[in-house]
Amino acid sequence: MFQVIIDSLIRASELALIAVGLTMVYDVLRFASFVHVQFGTVGAFIALAISLVLPLPIGWAILVGVIVACLVTGYLGVLSDRLVFSRLRSSPAAILMIASFGLGMVMQYSVQAIWGAGARSFPLPLTRPWVIWDGRISPSGAAVLIAALLAMLAFHLLLTRTKLGIAMRATADNPPLAEASGIYTERIIRIVWFIGAALGALGGIMLGLVAQIQSSMGFEIMVAVFAAAIVGGIGNVYGAVLGAMIVSFAENVGLVVNWAPLLQLTGLTSATDLYIPVGYKTGIAFVILILILLVRPRGLLGRRS
Amino acid sequence: MIDFIVYLLTIVGIYGLITLSLNFQYGQTGLVNFGQVAFFMVGAYFSSIATAILGWSVGVGFVLAILAGGVLGALMALPIGDLRQDYWAIATLAAAELIRMIFLNTNLGSEYVGASYGISGIPAPFQGYFSTQAYGYFYLALVAVCVVGAYVLVTWLGRSPYGRLLKGIRESDEVARALGKDVRNARIWSLVIGGAIAAAGGSLYAHFVGFIDPRFFMPLETFLIWAMVIMGGPGNNLGALVGTLVIEVIYNSTRFIHVPAEYSATVAALRMVLIGILIILVILYLPRGLVPERRRRYPRPSRLSSPPTGEPHAS
Amino acid sequence: MLLEVDRVSRHFGGLIALNNVSLTAEEGQITGLIGPNGSGKTTLVNIISGFLRPTSGRITFAGQSIEGREPYRIARLGLCRTFQITLNPQRMTVMENMLLGAKQQLGESVLMAALKPRSVAAEERHNLERAWHLLEMVRLHNHANELAGGLSGGQKKLLALVQVLMAKPRLILLDEPVAGVNPRLIDDIVEVIKTLRNNGETFLIIEHNMAVIRELCDTLCVLDMGQVLAEGPVDAVLAREDVLRAYIAAGGQLDPDTEIATVMAADSQEHA
Repeated sequence: MFQVIIDSLIRASELALIAVGLTMVYDVLRFASFVHVQFGTVGAFIALAISLVLPLPIGWAILVGVIVACLVTGYLGVLSDRLVFSRLRSSPAAILMIASFGLGMVMQYSVQAIWGAGARSFPLPLTRPWVIWDGRISPSGAAVLIAALLAMLAFHLLLTRTKLGIAMRATADNPPLAEASGIYTERIIRIVWFIGAALGALGGIMLGLVAQIQSSMGFEIMVAVFAAAIVGGIGNVYGAVLGAMIVSFAENVGLVVNWAPLLQLTGLTSATDLYIPVGYKTGIAFVILILILLVRPRGLLGRRS
Repeated sequence: MIDFIVYLLTIVGIYGLITLSLNFQYGQTGLVNFGQVAFFMVGAYFSSIATAILGWSVGVGFVLAILAGGVLGALMALPIGDLRQDYWAIATLAAAELIRMIFLNTNLGSEYVGASYGISGIPAPFQGYFSTQAYGYFYLALVAVCVVGAYVLVTWLGRSPYGRLLKGIRESDEVARALGKDVRNARIWSLVIGGAIAAAGGSLYAHFVGFIDPRFFMPLETFLIWAMVIMGGPGNNLGALVGTLVIEVIYNSTRFIHVPAEYSATVAALRMVLIGILIILVILYLPRGLVPERRRRYPRPSRLSSPPTGEPHAS
Repeated sequence: MLLEVDRVSRHFGGLIALNNVSLTAEEGQITGLIGPNGSGKTTLVNIISGFLRPTSGRITFAGQSIEGREPYRIARLGLCRTFQITLNPQRMTVMENMLLGAKQQLGESVLMAALKPRSVAAEERHNLERAWHLLEMVRLHNHANELAGGLSGGQKKLLALVQVLMAKPRLILLDEPVAGVNPRLIDDIVEVIKTLRNNGETFLIIEHNMAVIRELCDTLCVLDMGQVLAEGPVDAVLAREDVLRAYIAAGGQLDPDTEIATVMAADSQEHA
């Protein structure tokens, strides 16, 4: 039972970090970005490459790798805006989405060209997981949770306590007014891309720490990330975190629950044991996405109508 | 060499159908479908199941595929009919992934059929009647007929009042609503028609290749189709076919470069990078594509009867 | 009473945009809706035309309840509107825009287009003729095959007006029909509206341009901060001190010969 909570929190961390970047871009630039998940892919590979090359104890090597990867990917985000999105500021959302999708594919296949399509992992030694109540958590898993928590906290402080954060929120609320008040909007946009990409890279690294690193990893979580962002309310960073938790818990709980009693009520089946097959785990995120679009498209904390 | 050209043109024709379908959804109606591969997949699978597993004739399989595509289009559009374009993109992407997941996890018939094993032994129509080489020409002709049929269909629809309604929705769905148009219904039909055409492509593909597998229907395919639409010119059906040709030529061009075996995977990936960059360049510098959308001109009626003007309530 | 708005309110979270607003529009008359920026005019128009749901209140049009209904259904009943920022399809030609406006076209259904091609063609011809006449009335017929995006601001407003006429509405909601329009064209637009009214058309017009309001409107309704400040015949309402004060308090100027200076961005949400 506790295992479910641990797994869900870890998954939520991965999703939230990427979803936050995506949702920020939506808030400021008004389009759904299909490139943010690829920042995760790129970040994971950069971190992996560095950690393999550095002659340091593995923990330190990974740490350096993480920092470098986040910075480099952050800059990649800025570059994306400078080269592509800034030239499309007045284009309709559809064009921006298609461009972001294309850019994402460029990143994914560039990674694949360099490192191949196979799966890899961080060269961590096998350690025994720690046992908490009836659940197990590996040291990497614990690191993921702590890192995610710190990152979210830092981000929250940035948004609420610093001038930069307030400027970011003002730009998102009302770009012309913000610009008129002297907030240099373009600079804010660049920063949003930097932070979003860096956080995305962190999310990808975490995914790589707990599972595997693969050129298709970004694409594989795309729907879950979008589900998280939309459920929480696209455009709202706290919503992204909330949405990530909801989606992750739903995924993990959905697998553990025996659906037979519920289905027996509908009279469709008389089976006593019905579980969602593991292969369909990400299907749960998809279903949640469709449901929220049907019932409340602006999500739980969304504000645009 | 000739054989290769026949093969290439056949593939261009098959993908041309899927591109015409996406062009109808995006170029005409403004819907951003990131799950286009789903129609392709459903068409291929339904046709394959009908023929390879259930033993029905190819003709029946083809018709079944088209119907399945249309139904899927309706199913996809129903829940999202009134939502904004951002949501369309995500929802269609999710739907396509879900469908691929279902086909990946479902055994069809016996143990080694379906799921990740795919379906093999898909019959090709009239195979016995032709030699291998002549069959290539036959199938190309078959595909060409379908492409012409689809082209005529979408062009005719595009010029009809329904097509005009779709364009209006593409440009401004608020104005369409304010004028009394049922936007949701129009969009659903757009996906039904698009789905049917793309599924036809899927069926032709399955019978051409003889073997299908969930790995043939990755999001990569959707991306390629988008590349074809963008390159060719959204809103122009001829452009869609031109775009298909261009992208397929690029995609197949590396066959002629002799690459040592250990680099072939890298080259394949770089090919996709190239196409991706090309798309972005087209979006930035050639936004209307190679063959831009054409304007519809209306001649002034030669005789105008006495002015009805805007008499308010006559209907 | 063609349109009756009965105690409509609209809340956005804690913000009260409209508070118990009631107004009526009589058939064959032009009713004006004025008020300083932020007073809730566009919100009200959005609610009447179905693009927004009211938090409470009722709206009756031609005897039917329409509050909360979908915009296209309200439009089909005969209540059509234009938009403050002209939204008409830019990449379609002027004539295509006009043909789009015609209501309940057979050809707009895929099945009908396939099964009844002759009826569809006949309907097209009929609509084409109507469209040409309307375009001639506003002197846009020479631009018929040009893209709508190439027209000037005032021409776009004219196009929106005749486009909506193609739908043969019973009541036309005009959202700032002369805002940002070249003064010469303003006269044209005013003349067109007057002619239509004389033919029996009914209008509800939001405007800031006081000259236009005085010239066109029969009755006037003034909104201020989400509430009805005054309602009645034009001259009587505009003579009222509280109406004048409301405008000046909002930072605008009530100059009868020019457009009222608008207050900045704070209410850009309203017109979003």
